[in-house]
Amino acid sequence: MTTAVSIPKTGGSGGHTAVAARARQVVKAYGAGETRVTALDHVDVDIARGQFTAIMGPSGSGKSTLMHCLAGLDTVTSGEIFIDETEITGLKDKKLTRLRRDRIGFIFQAFNLLPTLNAIENITLPMDIAGRKPDKAWLDRVVETVGLAGRLKHRPNQLSGGQQQRVAVARALAARPEIIFGDEPTGNLDSRAGAEVLGFLRRSVDELGQTIVMVTHDPVAASYADRVLYLADGRIVDEMYSPTADAVLERMKNFDARGRVS
Amino acid sequence: MTVLKTSMRNFLAHKGRMALSAVAVLLSVAFVCGTLVFTDTMNATFDKLFANTASDVSVGPEKDDDAQVTGKPETLPAALREKLAKVDGVAGVEPHATSKQLTVVNDKNKSLSPTSGAPTVGTNWGDSQKKSVEITSGHEPHGPAEAVLDADTAGKHGVKTGDKLRVIAAPGDFTVSVVGIATFKTTNPGAALLYFDTPTAQAKLLGSTGEFSGYGLTAASGVSDEQLKQRVSEALGSSARDYAVRTAAETKEENKKDIGSLLDVMKYALLGFAGIAVLVGVFLIVNTFSMLVAQRTREIGLMRAIGSGRAQILKSVLTEALLLGVVGSVLGIGGGIGLAVGLMKVMGSMGMKLDMGELTIKATTPVVGLAIGVLVTLLASLVPAFKATRISPMSALRDAGTPADGKAGKVRASIGLVLTALGGLALAAAAKADDAAAGSGVLAIGVLLSLIGFIVVGPLLAGFVVRAISVVVLRVFGPVGRLAERNALRNPRRTGATASALMIGLALVAALSVVGSSMVASATDQLDKSVGADFIVQSENQQPLSPAVVKAVTSAGHVEHVSEYAVVSAKITTPDGRTVTQRLSAASPTYADDVRAETVKGNLKDAYGKDAMSVPEGFAKDHGIKPGDRLKVAMTGGRPAELTVKAVTSDDTSIDQGAVYTNIATARTYLPADKMPLDFMLLAKAADGRTKEAAAALKASVEQYPQVKVRDQSDYKKLIQDQVGQLLNIIYGLLALAIIVAILGVVNTLALSVVERTREIGLMRAIGLSRRQMRRMIRLESVVIALFGALLGLGLGMAWGTTAQKLLALQGLGVLDIPWPTITAVFLGSAVVGLLAALVPAFRAGRMNVLNAIATD
Repeated sequence: MTTAVSIPKTGGSGGHTAVAARARQVVKAYGAGETRVTALDHVDVDIARGQFTAIMGPSGSGKSTLMHCLAGLDTVTSGEIFIDETEITGLKDKKLTRLRRDRIGFIFQAFNLLPTLNAIENITLPMDIAGRKPDKAWLDRVVETVGLAGRLKHRPNQLSGGQQQRVAVARALAARPEIIFGDEPTGNLDSRAGAEVLGFLRRSVDELGQTIVMVTHDPVAASYADRVLYLADGRIVDEMYSPTADAVLERMKNFDARGRVS
Repeated sequence: MTVLKTSMRNFLAHKGRMALSAVAVLLSVAFVCGTLVFTDTMNATFDKLFANTASDVSVGPEKDDDAQVTGKPETLPAALREKLAKVDGVAGVEPHATSKQLTVVNDKNKSLSPTSGAPTVGTNWGDSQKKSVEITSGHEPHGPAEAVLDADTAGKHGVKTGDKLRVIAAPGDFTVSVVGIATFKTTNPGAALLYFDTPTAQAKLLGSTGEFSGYGLTAASGVSDEQLKQRVSEALGSSARDYAVRTAAETKEENKKDIGSLLDVMKYALLGFAGIAVLVGVFLIVNTFSMLVAQRTREIGLMRAIGSGRAQILKSVLTEALLLGVVGSVLGIGGGIGLAVGLMKVMGSMGMKLDMGELTIKATTPVVGLAIGVLVTLLASLVPAFKATRISPMSALRDAGTPADGKAGKVRASIGLVLTALGGLALAAAAKADDAAAGSGVLAIGVLLSLIGFIVVGPLLAGFVVRAISVVVLRVFGPVGRLAERNALRNPRRTGATASALMIGLALVAALSVVGSSMVASATDQLDKSVGADFIVQSENQQPLSPAVVKAVTSAGHVEHVSEYAVVSAKITTPDGRTVTQRLSAASPTYADDVRAETVKGNLKDAYGKDAMSVPEGFAKDHGIKPGDRLKVAMTGGRPAELTVKAVTSDDTSIDQGAVYTNIATARTYLPADKMPLDFMLLAKAADGRTKEAAAALKASVEQYPQVKVRDQSDYKKLIQDQVGQLLNIIYGLLALAIIVAILGVVNTLALSVVERTREIGLMRAIGLSRRQMRRMIRLESVVIALFGALLGLGLGMAWGTTAQKLLALQGLGVLDIPWPTITAVFLGSAVVGLLAALVPAFRAGRMNVLNAIATD
């Protein structure tokens, strides 16, 4: 039951269309012949603008691969991926790099910050690299929202894990990208720090109209999203709107019980 | 066992990271082994050559270092031949008529003499020659107009049989035609050889058919060389002490003495440069192991957590170092042999044909190479190894990330500053020292202390200097420049050690360039100040000027005067009763105008009066000589003289420093004509306003003598500049090895940093740093490290050079000249070096796969 889902809804920052990113018949395979492993198997997906989308699935389901492909970090074997109206499959490294720099924000699970730069320098790094001046008012607002105002001159090793992730979130937001991709952004945090970061991501969607795609295997994290996509064996097998932690957990158990035959 | 296994695995797993350290060990060991193999081969070659040509017993004139340079070799009477032939046990007597004081020119008036400093030898064709050469075309020389030339010289200058050669010897010039070409059966040491028949060699080279330069005796069978020597000495009786009677072995030793000590000097000089390279290599190895240990912190923590002892960790790191040392040394020994072969080829192209079959690899050579390589590697890895043992088991649990910033400690800072300060004081003391000998010791201490001080304090300086350089160089490049600056600063100890390695080589370059250019500037200054002569006439091959040349030059037109200058060997008995061997500068009285030596007492003109002389300041002080003193002067081979000291000259000069002047006429009064040395040089002053004409006339006068050069003052200045420049270039060439090792160190640091920062690189690429920006960031970091090293090195080197100049200011190095073009070129060059060093690491960083980089643990 691979699904192609379109949500006719406009809003959010950047782009013009209601769909911030879409994948069409995306296949990602490793190796060849007998040892061929298909990580993504003809995936079609639309990421709605101004929404918080979570991608879930068991280990090896291809959820991280899907995110990496959508974000232009990884190449696909076949199929097409668009960010807004730009097809990124087939783009050369130079253009891909620029796309990531100007239109995409990242939050990784760990090691998000350059140890040689302090918090504010890390936050403005993508704009510095691009040679753009950060929008002062916006920057102030972002910094204030993430609650880092007093720690901007601190180096990463002087910040706690939660604070570091908040700096990473601020960096992702500061450049006002069309989409922010998070790869288990709370995976390394305790539940309180995790809740802080997730709450902040939620607010940035609600208040700033940000589009966010997050890979997670934590039902509580997924419950912050507007919509949850379930991946298994490289296919999208289900989706859920306005999830709660319990419902997500129930659905996950369900998948395990039903097996992956569907 | 497990330790060895883990070390082996680590070593192999990181062989890429070890590669540059291995290359550093390899280069140093190769240089040491190459030097040893090359000098051993040269020694063996000369041994064989001299052994081949030595007669069982040879009889020659007693060699006297104080003999006057008359242009003719010392000889023995021809009558001695009969006497020697009658000695019991002598199977044959072969007379030699050999001279090394000649110049051979071809029909185009071009000199055939080697330019490498090897002699031109003329000798009689006889049995002993047949041992080393054979005539490969033409025939043996007969009669006064025939000669045989050696094949190498003939080949180099395109001489064929039938060609005419002019031989310029002390008794006079003569022309011969080449009737044969002789080819060396053994190694040709690079000399030009010309063979004549015996009467011709006697008459034209020695000046008399009644003399020989020596005799070679063949022992009858059953008579040992020693026995024969004994019998010959007895037969010669009381006159034996005028002769040097030597066995073949003794002759070999005697011949080897000069070349042997030259080879020794060369060997130790080369080993010295190899030592500098080894020192620089130490930095590279220390850095490599420090970085490997830092990168493996978690792994070592885990080992400790599961129960490895500190000793086991230490052993494991040292075992890796041992492996590195052994691999590097073994490859280095091979490289050294290759290097020696290369050097032999170079020598071959310079005229000295070395037989590859002579390649001598002593058993000690690989042992020395291995010992140096292994010991240095082990020593260099000690500090990182001990640091590894202090890693706590807790490290296994901590997040890996990048290793903590190594902050330069306060203890280190104070030690470094104290050493630098002491070094500075020693340098200041050396600069003010009156006595050059004592001062040079202080200078050496100052150089050593300031070098060590800079090395110790380097990481601290990195903070200030790198920031300063960044302000000027990196800020232009915006955020990428800032990232590069932060990266260079993140581990000051690493940056300091990397830059220090470069600093050592560049400091030596800077110091030598300052001394060299001060030498040129001082000599130029002296020439301007004290030389009144317009032209200097000298021979190119360190030989004196033949009377014919002197006659030709003195009769040239448009010349106000020509001053002769000869060096006379003498023994002077000073008022304090001591007798010193001293060379007198015997010159025409006009020489006082040509070289206006400053006097501290008396008038120099008076020293050219009858039976008068001058002494230099230092000599006068040492022996308590004052003007008016009469000194006993025994010129070698002449009548005893008593000369009156009329003037004391200043030592503060670089021209004729320490010269004892006397009138050449005075020397001629006391020396018989055949003992009077030939003029060493002539100085000429042009008639008023006739400089051009005089130059033309003087050049024309020596046209027949291509070995003689007429130079005006600017030619002479250029000659000094060229000579100093050549010497400096050779030294720079040898220092290049140390600099190459230092560059490898920069490459190594960057390459390991790139590996260490894989995740950072991935992150930066993910958030939009382009490949080009990434590469630029690595390159800028490299440039900053290189410029930091250059700045320290050049600063230190200029301080050393300036101190040396101040110290030698009274020894004729009066003018300080800092060669800014050279210094600037070295500084800019090191930026280029930085760019080159970053080439591969930057390429690898740029090519790194973003996903893999993010995923790396």
